Amino acid sequence: MTAELALFIVLVAPVAQALLVIALARPPGLRDVAHIAGALTTALAALYLVGVVADGGGARIVLARPLPQVDLAFVVEPLGALMAATLALLGVLHAAHSAGVVRATHERSPARLMAFMALAAAATMAIAFSANLFTFFVAYQALILAVFPLVAHRGDEGARKAARDFLATLLTASVGLFLPAMVWTYALAGALEFQAGGMLAGRVDAVTANILLVLYVLGLAMAATPPLHRWLAASSSAPYPALVSIQALAVLPAGAIGVLKIGAFVFGPALHEAQSATRALIVLVGVGMCAAALIALSRQDIRERLAYSAMAQVLAVTMGTLLALPAGLFAAALQVVAFACASATLMMAAGTTAAVTAREKVADYAGLGRVMPWTFAGFAIASASMIGLPPFAGAWAKLWLITASAGAGLIWAAALAGIAAILTFTHLGPLAAHALAARAPTDAFKRPDGASILLAAPVVLGAAATLLLLLLADPLASFLSPIWTPAS
Amino acid sequence: MIAQYLALAQLHAPLLTMLIPLCGAALAILLPSRAAWAVAATAALAAALVAVDAALRSLLPAEPLTATIEGVMLYADGIAIYTAALLAVALALVVVGAGAFLRDFPAPIASTALALSLCAGGGWIGALFARDLLGIFAAVEFAWLATVGLLALSAERGALNGASRMFVAGGVSSAMFLLGLGLVHHGVGATDLAVLPMTQIEAPRLAAAGIGLVLLSVALKAGVAPLNFWIGAAYGRASRLSVLVLGGIGAIGALCVVVRLASFALPAPAIGEGVSITLAMLGASSVVIGSVQAVGARNVLRLAAYAGSAQAGVALLCAALGSPAGFAAAVVQTLAMLVTTLALLGGVAFGAGGAAKLEALDGLGRRSPLASAAITASAISLMGAPLTIGFLGRWRLVEAGVGAGWWWAAGAVIVTSLAGVFYGGRLVERVYFRRVSGAVQTASEIWRFAGAPLLIASVCATVLGLAPDWLLRAADGAAALMAGAP
Repeated sequence: MTAELALFIVLVAPVAQALLVIALARPPGLRDVAHIAGALTTALAALYLVGVVADGGGARIVLARPLPQVDLAFVVEPLGALMAATLALLGVLHAAHSAGVVRATHERSPARLMAFMALAAAATMAIAFSANLFTFFVAYQALILAVFPLVAHRGDEGARKAARDFLATLLTASVGLFLPAMVWTYALAGALEFQAGGMLAGRVDAVTANILLVLYVLGLAMAATPPLHRWLAASSSAPYPALVSIQALAVLPAGAIGVLKIGAFVFGPALHEAQSATRALIVLVGVGMCAAALIALSRQDIRERLAYSAMAQVLAVTMGTLLALPAGLFAAALQVVAFACASATLMMAAGTTAAVTAREKVADYAGLGRVMPWTFAGFAIASASMIGLPPFAGAWAKLWLITASAGAGLIWAAALAGIAAILTFTHLGPLAAHALAARAPTDAFKRPDGASILLAAPVVLGAAATLLLLLLADPLASFLSPIWTPAS
Repeated sequence: MIAQYLALAQLHAPLLTMLIPLCGAALAILLPSRAAWAVAATAALAAALVAVDAALRSLLPAEPLTATIEGVMLYADGIAIYTAALLAVALALVVVGAGAFLRDFPAPIASTALALSLCAGGGWIGALFARDLLGIFAAVEFAWLATVGLLALSAERGALNGASRMFVAGGVSSAMFLLGLGLVHHGVGATDLAVLPMTQIEAPRLAAAGIGLVLLSVALKAGVAPLNFWIGAAYGRASRLSVLVLGGIGAIGALCVVVRLASFALPAPAIGEGVSITLAMLGASSVVIGSVQAVGARNVLRLAAYAGSAQAGVALLCAALGSPAGFAAAVVQTLAMLVTTLALLGGVAFGAGGAAKLEALDGLGRRSPLASAAITASAISLMGAPLTIGFLGRWRLVEAGVGAGWWWAAGAVIVTSLAGVFYGGRLVERVYFRRVSGAVQTASEIWRFAGAPLLIASVCATVLGLAPDWLLRAADGAAALMAGAP
């Protein structure tokens, strides 16, 4: 198999998966097999591409030339390959888990739900492998449109309002802020192609760089930078499988990947020109991280608590990128990987709990770990990773982030990251501890047989992934090094 | 023998594009409704064939058509050839689709409605090929009155009000045109457009004022804001055929005439700058006002009309640049406006029975998938989503505008797209995420499929942004063959 073919498969397999799921909606067994097989195909192809990059190879495919000098193109490079492989592998667990959830909860229109999740995955892969700003923008818009039906899936007035808020916030930000920045970049650089070392390096003065950075970072509202974060809490009423896509595998990670790509491939060293904007944005995201973690503590609904918790995590990616150091970029990349593993595990665990016990309040979680030990073991490990406890994946990301902050001379930024970690501990630590240590409820299950393997196994495997990253920190650093040390 | 006739037809393509619909109208009015429809559809398709053939022969290789003067004052410049082909194709799709609407009219009137539709199309095409201002005036008035007549054929009181509002607006517009024509004659010494770019203008202020009045007059008929006071009443209660002719032929035809007039006036050194400023101001105000009106609209037909005003504003901004790149962007934007208007109005007319309220779109996705796809394609294009024709038109303006230092033109594009997010998103939400309240009558007769070509064509044209090479070549060819091109 050539790298080009593998790249094509990564992009097309989720679309085919969506079509198959709709076509094979009945019987449910066939639908679920198509759903999981599609995710598995995507993951295998994405893993192959990681191997290609590790061997020093690459690939590029051009689907169309919609504008003069601008291609709709995708390229295999280390950052995109790593993100795509992580999200695609987690996508396999999510596919199995969502098959279990829709069966356990008798979800309305499960095929439609699965199809749009697959389309969201396709758009996320396209974002990860986008070769230029235009392709990124196309994929970003496609992701917004693919997730809109997921948010509106329940079909009631509340869901429709949440979907309207989601669409309005994300589209408005991307059209009103990101698009002008893209046009401006095109006028400055004469091209939109991503390049290691930054396409704006040496082409931009300080004022322009400051304005452009603000436009880009706020335009990527998927990264939940305040004040454009309200869509996240509003969308938390979606079904659990959709929430995993929104908060862990598609929307938030896509925003984080976008910020990383803008930092590494659009600005590069030009970030130093935008010092005022970087400082202001670091303050914004640092305070935002702490505020989000604090708000999470105040929420009793597990969906909202996890939404704000995820927001605090994804803002750390923006902070790492804005530090404008290789260590900051690496921290940000590692944070995306760690956050995706932990957040997906937490959200799947919450989904499993809701499916088999119908409990969604934080207070109702007490003692559930005694009757659902596997699920809550996974929940606890993922919580530890989100907090940043060693030896879980999140710890390395946080460590690099604090090191990079100190390296940039921004001790206060390191302090903000530390405070956010402590606040994350306060809203996740006691929750996991109570679930595992408190007395077991006598009437936990609404179904006598508890959680099926489809509901429990993905949670356990997701938690295992956060442990695996313990071994991969160094190889990942050398794998990603080309993005901050461009070939001359 | 046939080859000779075909060669002759090719030689006189502009004249035929204008005359075939008029001859079709003359025949259609004499026949019963279904036969009239067959004749009208044949005539419109023939005119579209001739116009597209002429456009392909001339624009892609950027070679002017030869021997186009036959005693009538015609002038086949690049923009006329391009936009006439657009109008002719739109006319053919509307007239073919009209097969589904014939029952909207009492039997004897259906033939008249078809004939008036053809007259409107033929009139606007005539205005596009006319060589002097007097010819343009006659053709525009002919087309306008045909559209007013078509609107007045509906027995509904609201439609009659719309027709009377249009009639009054047309009177105002005619007075402005005639006054402008007189000023141009005084200032330039002639009304022949072909000489305008090269002539030595003796009284540039008079001439500039005259051209400005003429442009405003036709812009009023294109529904450009703030001169669009008539479109709410005209679109709001119009019958299905009237609204398609009004939006897909009338508004587009008038906009094309404005762009073409600008292509003659802007290269004239003495008046070009004034005309450019007028067009830019008109375009910017139309973008802003049209967008605000569309966001506030609760009637889907009015929403389409106001969104058209905003889109027309973008086209005027492109034209105001005055460069070949600007005119190439203007004709691409004109196509974008045509496609989105036809898709939206066609979707409503064929899928929702022409109902005016936004609520009529609730649950349309299940009832009428093709019409819903057309409305969705239109909405996405109005948002300026990448890979759609809407994005392509706006991107061309940004490219041309930034190249000329008109950064604020990019701001206008952003305003249009932001507003499009709101009203386009609302359309998509209603079509796919709401359930219909109450019983809905759906058409079951075979004639409803007459709308399929229009809907399919508009959906396909929306995604032209995926591979726009030939379209951009044609637009560049049109700009290269415009009057006064370097």
